[in-house]
Amino acid sequence: MSAFPHLHVVSAFSAHHGVSWPADLAAAAAAAGMDLLACTDRDGLYGTAKHVAACLRHGITPIVGVDLAVRWAGDEPAGRVVVLARGGRQGTGYRALCRVVSAAHARTSGGSAGGDPWASVAEIAAAAAGPVPHAADSSRPATSELAVLLGPDSDVGRHLARRRTAAGAAALRRWRFALPAGTPHVEVVSHLSAPGQRLDTGHAVKMLRAARAARVPAVLANAVRYAAPDGAATADVLDAVRALSSLDAVHDLQPNGQGWLKPTEAMHRIAREVADAADERPGPLLAATRALAESCAIDPETDLGWGVPRVPEAAVVGIEGDPDAVLRRRTLEGLAARYPDLHTGAGRFDTGRAARDLEDRAEHELGIISRLGFAGYFLTVAAVVDLIEGMGVRVAARGSGASSLVNHALRISHVDPMANGLIMERFLSDDRSTLPDIDIDVESARRHEIYHAVVARFGSERTTLMSMQNAYRARGAVRDAGLALGMDEHEVDGIAKQLWRFSASDFRGALTRMPELSDLARRIDSGRREGRHQLDLLVDLTERLDRLPRHISMHPCGVILSDARLLDRTPVQPSGMGLPMSQFDKHDMDPMGFLKLDILGVRMQSAIAYTLHEVERTTGERIDLEQVPLDDRATYEMIRTTHTLGCFQIESPGQRELIGKLEPREFNDLVVDISLFRPGPMQSDMVRPFLEHRHGWAPAHYPHPHLEPVLAETHGVTVFHEQVLRTMDVMTGCGLARADELRRLIGGPEERRVEAFFRSAALQKGYGLDVIDEVWATLHAFGSFGFCKAHGAAFAVPTYHSAWLKTHHPAAFMAAILEHDPGMYPARLMVAEARRMGIPVLPVDVNRSTRHVRIERIPSHPEVDGRPAGHASPDAGHPDTRHPDAGRWGIRLPLTAVSGLSDAEVDRLDAGRPYASLADVRDRARPTARSLERLAQLGALDCLLPPGGASRTDLVHHLELQHSATRSDAPGRAARRSRSSRLRQVDGQLSLDLPDTELTALTPLFPDPSRDAAVRTELDLTALDVTAHLMDSHAPYLDALGVTRAKDLLSRRTQSRVLVAGVRVATQTPPMRSGKRVVFLSVDDGTGCVDASFFTEAQHASGEMLFSARLLLIEGTVRRTGARAVSVQAVRAWDLHRPETLPDPDYLDATRDRWRAWLAADRRAATLRRRGVQVPDAVPDIPHHSTGGWPVKVRPDVALPMAARVAARPAPAPASRLVPPA
Amino acid sequence: MGTFTQSVAVECAQDGAPARLRWEGREYVLAERPLRWFERRRWWAEEVRAEKGRGPGLVDHEIWRLQVSLARAAHAPVRTLDLAHHLDSGRWRLVRVHEPAVAGTLRHTA
Repeated sequence: MSAFPHLHVVSAFSAHHGVSWPADLAAAAAAAGMDLLACTDRDGLYGTAKHVAACLRHGITPIVGVDLAVRWAGDEPAGRVVVLARGGRQGTGYRALCRVVSAAHARTSGGSAGGDPWASVAEIAAAAAGPVPHAADSSRPATSELAVLLGPDSDVGRHLARRRTAAGAAALRRWRFALPAGTPHVEVVSHLSAPGQRLDTGHAVKMLRAARAARVPAVLANAVRYAAPDGAATADVLDAVRALSSLDAVHDLQPNGQGWLKPTEAMHRIAREVADAADERPGPLLAATRALAESCAIDPETDLGWGVPRVPEAAVVGIEGDPDAVLRRRTLEGLAARYPDLHTGAGRFDTGRAARDLEDRAEHELGIISRLGFAGYFLTVAAVVDLIEGMGVRVAARGSGASSLVNHALRISHVDPMANGLIMERFLSDDRSTLPDIDIDVESARRHEIYHAVVARFGSERTTLMSMQNAYRARGAVRDAGLALGMDEHEVDGIAKQLWRFSASDFRGALTRMPELSDLARRIDSGRREGRHQLDLLVDLTERLDRLPRHISMHPCGVILSDARLLDRTPVQPSGMGLPMSQFDKHDMDPMGFLKLDILGVRMQSAIAYTLHEVERTTGERIDLEQVPLDDRATYEMIRTTHTLGCFQIESPGQRELIGKLEPREFNDLVVDISLFRPGPMQSDMVRPFLEHRHGWAPAHYPHPHLEPVLAETHGVTVFHEQVLRTMDVMTGCGLARADELRRLIGGPEERRVEAFFRSAALQKGYGLDVIDEVWATLHAFGSFGFCKAHGAAFAVPTYHSAWLKTHHPAAFMAAILEHDPGMYPARLMVAEARRMGIPVLPVDVNRSTRHVRIERIPSHPEVDGRPAGHASPDAGHPDTRHPDAGRWGIRLPLTAVSGLSDAEVDRLDAGRPYASLADVRDRARPTARSLERLAQLGALDCLLPPGGASRTDLVHHLELQHSATRSDAPGRAARRSRSSRLRQVDGQLSLDLPDTELTALTPLFPDPSRDAAVRTELDLTALDVTAHLMDSHAPYLDALGVTRAKDLLSRRTQSRVLVAGVRVATQTPPMRSGKRVVFLSVDDGTGCVDASFFTEAQHASGEMLFSARLLLIEGTVRRTGARAVSVQAVRAWDLHRPETLPDPDYLDATRDRWRAWLAADRRAATLRRRGVQVPDAVPDIPHHSTGGWPVKVRPDVALPMAARVAARPAPAPASRLVPPA
Repeated sequence: MGTFTQSVAVECAQDGAPARLRWEGREYVLAERPLRWFERRRWWAEEVRAEKGRGPGLVDHEIWRLQVSLARAAHAPVRTLDLAHHLDSGRWRLVRVHEPAVAGTLRHTA
């Protein structure tokens, strides 16, 4: 008895349909002794590459196909069918499959509203017939390229299910005539459901009889959605979620739980049941199934081109002649431009040592590239970089690509590998023959433009975007599980908000450990006691959904480049931005042999470009950052203040603390700083000894004098991969290429081999045993967390540039930060930072605001002139703000900051400036009534108010009164004109300069809104507190309480007790050495940021508000960790929006004794810990859950994105508005 | 037709299909080939847990429709019984008795 081949199997990559991962399906098939297995995901080949890889691992032959909607014509559906590629024919079957899938998607326009894909029967027929008529080529098998399975969901199956036997037979005959011979098959499926239900055996029998009558071969399948029976409940939930309905209400729930990968014996039993009822024997049905499976057996290498990289053809890249020669010529030209000092002209380097080193290095690299045959690849990347630079876009390589001098010469990388001691072998060597990754960063705002240009340059037949799978994470999973259970939306939402980044696959475990979930755990318990189990089920279903793919989208940076046959090897579908994207994701690139280029849109690059643009627009000065020396003192002084908000890589709370300890003085310090700020070094206590040596508190220590040149730059501490390579090379003489291969094995199963080699080779070279022991200990520890210096150096360039711009062009820089939002913080923190720096932030004004954040010269500003003395900033007297006219640069907020203004309204408002009157605004900009009111509320129309006349409040009342008459109209209606008969002016026509009779006629009744009211309105409508800081309204209570401000924290004694308060701007849970979760929370109080750490006890004391509260009051002790580094170790926190929980103003005095007791206990525990005594915690440990990234980026709800950016972001969680208490 | 949850002792043939059963103290044998199907359950309303790994028996249960007659009275009328087979416990329970006679004579024994 041969094993049963499953021909209709969807994987988890069939979003909201499939349940099991390809690896699990293949494992289940292998365990059941099967030798063939298909993957037929819905609508695409999303799981195909993973399926093939999994099959290869398990020794199974893969079959590939798709479960696709088909139509006879646009308005005549033919149901869903399975299309399988025939295998073992040099890829022609697979090509036909790719083309059918791409054609089906060409009808959609991408995104969730872009329509559903479908293929026409004619398209399938044409693809199945292949490009060459069979009769004309006798070497080709006479079977068709594809097999089509007409199953229960096809029109044939649907007719027969409704007992329309004749119609079913007719449909089947139609298929037989429409498709090439050998293509159509009837797919017999029985899920053994109750008689009369969908997928019952009776239906299978009818299908089999119809096949026999029409003489179409019949095959048996099981329409598999899960590997094992336990997936059935998950499939039910997906059915409900797909229908956006509860399980009780969904109408097309699977009939039962039998859609699993049944073993051969069970499938044979189904075959017997069906055949018996149809009065035949099961043999022919099973034999036909087997025969079809064998004809579809895919040979990954010959059919798919598995593992063979294909790069664009030389002619397309523009290479004439030998690629090696072209690369050599271009490299030498590039070096002459990069190192003019070492060059005598006429293509020759001078005879100095540096020039010889440079030449040797270039020859060394060119030799490696030539021997590996990668010249074409480097020239391809160079062609892309040329293209991008030609568009005037900032571009720079990130990562290990910066190690290469050739990359530097080709302008792919901007880091000087010679000056920074970077090693080519870390990037590419003779011993490493896979295509290296060259990742390039570009301005995020022009990313799409670049993709279009790359596609145009290389041709759409060789270029496509890469896609990515978006999977369920905890919050989405709990929301959809709640939907399926029919739970109250608000209740589920409340639970979702408590889920702090953790893997929901262990939701139940987390319930017992996480303080923020303790309330939920109590509710589950009490529900259980009362016989309500919905929350229990919610937890189970959430765990089931976690990590399942939800939808596919364009990858943020991957572009696939290949030869002209790309579209034969990947199906493509429209992406949100209009260009096609591959159905394969980044994991599929290497196996499928695709060359992927990461062209990553980096917001900081856009922010830098915007800063330069604003400086030039306002002053005419053109800055060439490449010419800016990397040793500007003022820049490093600014960095050392730790006021680095907005700067690339060094603005996070942890980085600001590290900067405060490290006190960078030169470029290499930034490289070291960025390299140290990684989970490994932070966890393994590398930072402390490094700082001790750096500041001279302890002498640098080198295991052996030979290692001093290698480790001197980091005072004896191994920080970089490059140092590991050199250490290996020095002590064993193995060469740098071999050293990199060995480095990669450290930390893996083969580490012992490396150790054995290292020890014996070092011993041979005469190193002492103690030296070898010490060095190996370092290398061993390093294996888990090393950092490539080239990465750090590539990052340090934009870090330095952003810091230089913040130092020398602060207003333009902060405007750029608000415009492009490159960092981790909410925009309102950047407004607060600008205010702290003494840069006025100016409100939206219809006569001054444009589409963009701009700087403008202002003679004076009430906010600045009227500032309390305490707010004066050391940065205020900066060169940039000194100007002959004694004014200063301010930042004008853009029209796009106002939520609810449409793009068209913004365009018209911008185009119509300036306005002379309210009527003028109405006539030429034509805002909706609501938009006009919003502009008035924000003060954007204040400029039109007559001096000494009506106030902003009067204007708002006037507009509301005027509009209330038409309020019942549909939204979006243009504001009612005061004189409706008046003709509208033609766009662009200037209005007459007449006094605004409408506004002068207004009777002044009310004063302007109070400061607090204005702030409230600003937060509601722009999410930015411009008039004053959000915390200002809390000042009386906080002052009474004795709260310390951020700017005063540095002057407090270490270990002293403080209360701090502010708006949450960041929450992070980086991995810690202890494995316990530590929550780092940053709040902004208007004078700066306070960074507080919450250890286990403080997390328990604070409870669930720790992750949900927006305005916090925090009690803790001051920790001074460096000259400028200060943070607060929290004891507990309160939610400022829950007044009933807040402490009384005499709190600090009243609880002094309790505090002393706590402090004494804390110190005792610390002393014991130092002595190595295990101190049992009074409260349960909170383990750290994988956060999947470092550092974890969080945008708290308070961080409402600017209105214009909402649309560009992936569906933001509904953000609640922030209202300061009146 | 009535709904029961009464335990029944079943003897199976080699292919897993029921062959004889004992119900209310009497022995029955099969008069016709049995019918089998898997019937959906509203597990989200009936179950208290649906954790990962929970497989057979959660979403559906195996139902056998048996036409039986008394083993010792070959001419007694054939009765139709629906039995649920709980795959996790291996137990059989009677879920329905189809009375060919007049409706309304059902006896609920559960």
